[in-house]
Order: sequence, then C-alpha cells, then structure tokens
Amino acid sequence: MPIALEEILETIRMTEVEHFDIRTVTMGISLLDCRSDDFKRLKTNIYDKIMRTAAEHVAIAQQVESNYGISIANKRISVTPLAIAADGFYKEDFIELAQTMDRAADELGIDYLGGFSALVQKGFTRGDHSLIQAIPEALSITNHICSSVNVASTKAGINMDAVGMMGEAIKQTAEKTADRLAIGCAKLVVFANVPEDNPFIAGAFHGVSEPDVVINVGISGPGVILRAIKEAPDDLDFASLGERIRRMAFKITRAGEFIGKEVAAKQNVPYGIVDISLAPTPLPGDSVADILKAMGLEDVGATGTTAALALLNDSVKRGGLMASSHVGGMSGAFIPVSEDEGMIKAAQNGHISLEKLEAMTSVCSVGLDMVAVPGKTPASVLAGMIADECAIGMTNNKTTAVRVIPVPGKDVGDMVDYGGLLGAAPIMPVSQLNNSLFINRGGRLPAPTKGINN
Amino acid sequence: MPDLNEQQIRKLVEEAVNQLGSNASGTAVEQVVHEAVQRMQPGSVTPPPPVQAPGQNRIIVTAFGKNRTGILAGLTGVLAEANCDILDLSQKILQEFFTIMLLVDISSSSLSFDQVKEKVVQTGDTLGLKVIIQHEDIFNTMHRV
Repeated sequence: MPIALEEILETIRMTEVEHFDIRTVTMGISLLDCRSDDFKRLKTNIYDKIMRTAAEHVAIAQQVESNYGISIANKRISVTPLAIAADGFYKEDFIELAQTMDRAADELGIDYLGGFSALVQKGFTRGDHSLIQAIPEALSITNHICSSVNVASTKAGINMDAVGMMGEAIKQTAEKTADRLAIGCAKLVVFANVPEDNPFIAGAFHGVSEPDVVINVGISGPGVILRAIKEAPDDLDFASLGERIRRMAFKITRAGEFIGKEVAAKQNVPYGIVDISLAPTPLPGDSVADILKAMGLEDVGATGTTAALALLNDSVKRGGLMASSHVGGMSGAFIPVSEDEGMIKAAQNGHISLEKLEAMTSVCSVGLDMVAVPGKTPASVLAGMIADECAIGMTNNKTTAVRVIPVPGKDVGDMVDYGGLLGAAPIMPVSQLNNSLFINRGGRLPAPTKGINN
Repeated sequence: MPDLNEQQIRKLVEEAVNQLGSNASGTAVEQVVHEAVQRMQPGSVTPPPPVQAPGQNRIIVTAFGKNRTGILAGLTGVLAEANCDILDLSQKILQEFFTIMLLVDISSSSLSFDQVKEKVVQTGDTLGLKVIIQHEDIFNTMHRV
C-alpha cells in the first residue's frame, strides 16, 4: 500500500514540530581485550581501540540523519566498566585513563562516553575501590566522561558501604566542580539493578556479556505522545487513552530501531537494542510532565500522578514491544527534573516534592534524576536518598537510580541552569534530619526473598 | 546496433560520462558506447556492470510554502534534470498554503542522494518552499507493519 500524504505529514510533524528525535545512538565497545599489567600499554590499548572502532561513528550517524530526515541528538560511546578493564590499578591511574578516554571522545566528536563505572552490589575489588575514589577528580577534569556505580540488586541486596561511599563521592564531585554549578554530578549516577545495554547517559556502560562492539539506540518522543493525549476527548476511558499512547510508541520505536540498524549496518557491527524510554528535553512540549497533565491533572504532584505515570509507562512498553524484537536498556519513562520543562515548572511552583518523585520512581524508570538540592546537604543525606531508591529497585526487581546535584552555595529558591539537554533545575528541599548512624552501620542490606526465585 | 529502450540509452550515456569526465571527445565516446553495446548483445561473455535495481532507492520529497505559479514545474524540472523518475505525486492547497509530496526513484540518476537533496532544496529556496527529503524506507517502517 503506498504511503499516504497524511502519513508523510504526520512523520514530518513529529520531527519538525513535536521534537521527535533519536536521543542517542550509542556504540558499546568492549575493553576486555585491552587489559595489560603495564599501565602505559593499557592506556594505549584503550585509546587505540576506541579510536579504531568508533572512527566513523559520528560521520555515519550524520549520514543516516540526512537520509531519513530524523535527527540524532547525541552520538555516544559506552565501554566496559573501567573498574573491570583496569582492575589492579590505582586512583591516579583511573584519573589518567579518564583523561585518555576524554581525549578520544573529543577527537571523534562524540558527545558523551559512559563506562567510568563499577559494579559493587556485593562487594569491592581493588579496581572498584580505586575507581570510586577517582570519580570526583575524573569528572572535574573531563568533559565527556560519565560515571555510574551499581550498588544494589534484587539478587545481592544493597551494599551499604558503597552507598555511603557514593554519598561522599557525589558531595566531593559537587565541590570539585563548584565553579560550574556542580556539573560533575550531572555525569554521575548510582544504580540498583543496572541494565548492561543502556544507551542513555550518565548510566551507559558496555556489559561484560555484550559482544565486542554493538550499537544501541535510545529514542525521545514525549511531544508525540503529548499530542495523542491532547487530541483525546475528555471522557475517553483509560484503556482507550492507553491505546493512543501505544500507537504512537509503536511508530517512534519502529523509527528508532530502523535508525539504529542502519547506523550499525553501515559500520558493519551488530545492532543491539532499542531503549524505549521516553526521554524528555527542556524544549516546550517535549515533556513527560505535560503528558501527565494532559491526562487530566492540574499539575504533576497532584494525587493521581503516580497512577497516570504507571499508565503511560505500561502503554509505551506495549507499543514498543510490538514494534521491536530487541527492547532493552531502561525502557520506561524518564522523569528528570531539570531536563523536563513541565517538571521544572512544577518544582518551581512547589507542586512536586522529592517525596512524590520517589513514589513515582516505583512505577517508572529511572529514579531521582537530575534533582538539585541545597549545597549544604551532607553526604549521609545523599546516601540516604540512594539507599531509599535502591530499596525500591531491589524490592520491586526493577532499575532505580539517583542522579542528584548538591549545588555548593545554593539553597531552596535558587535556580541552576546547565543549558542544552541538561536544562535548568530549581533547588528542591530535602529532609536534613540526621541519618548518619543508619548509613554508617555498613555491611550489606540483605536481598529480599523475591530475589530467590529459582 | 540492437534496439535500446530509454533506460538503456540513459545508462550508456552515463557510463560514458563517468568514464571519460572532462576527457570526452567524439571518438572516445564512440569507443565507450561501442564497448557497452557489445556487453548488451546476447551471448556476450562480459557480464553487465552491476546496477541498482529500480525501486531500491526511492525518496520522498515533501515541500511546503505559499502557493505561487511554477512550484510544481520548478521541483519536477530539477528532478528531471537529475534523471530522477517521479512515481507518484500528491498535493493539497489549503487557502494560500501549498503542500506537495513526490515519490521519486533516484536509482537511475547519476547523482547521489545528497546531491539530489542539495539541488532540490536549493530550488525550493528560490521558490520560497521548505523542502524535506527522506528515504522512503523510514515511512514504510513507521506506518506499515
């Protein structure tokens, strides 16, 4: 059946008016074959492999953008968690490796490179310890490097020692990048149940069970879903509302998968997954919060917000799963505060609180994301936020995460503006009650019985 | 000389131009065409050069703008110059506003996708049109199961 004019115009409206784009085409690169007991050789191996493997990544992604008229906002790379690839080396070595990878990203024209990462849900290797200690310095002296640390899983429980360390790491990263509104913290995320094929930043890394090289793709289309909801009559029931979301999610997932496969095929590397998370941008109308409002809420934060988000998340998954054989990564709606115009307004107006955001994270990916809190917030409070999110993720067998920015010198009522996709965030109030005795107990919080499912 | 259809003649001329470039002279063109015709003869031992099958490289040109005379002529003219085959066309005029969609096969063109795109977008600019050009595959992917 030939394509109708209306269908062409719908596609063009999606890309030109409703900001539908491919958020990222991320090339995952294994660094396992770069290992060496000689640090200089390790460094050269890593640099050479990234430069060789991703030599054409940006150019080919641009060519695909031009051919199909769909913009690819970011071209990214993820690598094997560096704590694994460079285990046995020390804090200073990890900082040097971060600089080396940053140089490679710069030369390749890559937007972000993820994988300054460690998986410590059950305990630490020497490399894990060194990497975590290196995070604040590494993020303060690089531009493209993103860091993630997985501290909990449904199988392993929560590594509370790691939770405490990450509270400190976030605090130190904020202080080291205080002159740039603590932007280092926007590139640092702490996870429970982290997916190993996530194309999105800051949590992207290339899992050890992945192939040598792979292309994963992440889509961004809240504006498209928003239109589908806005056009619905006020008395449309939830099942029908869900169907409208499903139809749109199907179309944007198909486009995402197609673009990912093209970029992979032209580079002669395997295609991995499409992540069907709805990633918002700070542009007007490209907002997950606006979708929830369009369902009939005065603002996000109203009672019913969590239920609305659950409907959105489930409907997007249904449409996306029909559209693609390989769905992976996070694949749920994102609710970052600074990156979503509707969330920013709701936070400024005091309509949404951290407590409500935390509740919402139990029905969507990813967690407390791009939340700015007062600079005076102690590390133990940050660790408490991480522990709470990990508890939700661990108990519900889902991914959760914390990307929080304690902005030095800023307090509730102030705004911080990072520009670009990171957007602007109002400083949100967070309970400053003392929890240090709890956090400092240390050890592992036991895994729930749900994790024993064999 | 066998009977040739239009498509074959076009291929011959393109091949001659590609091979000779600025060195084209009467005898040189004759030589190239002669060799190409030989390859087309039944029983010829030389296999024909691989050509892209028609329909493998179809693009959709969409243009929007204020209606005025010469829009369709301008767009189709530049496509014809580039040896592009227009397979389908649909247009709508809403009050002053003009929308046109062309399904175009560029497999027989000597120009690449990017070159065709550049030429048509330039022509669109002179006519006050916003022109968007995309491979057909993206629409099939999004709108057909």
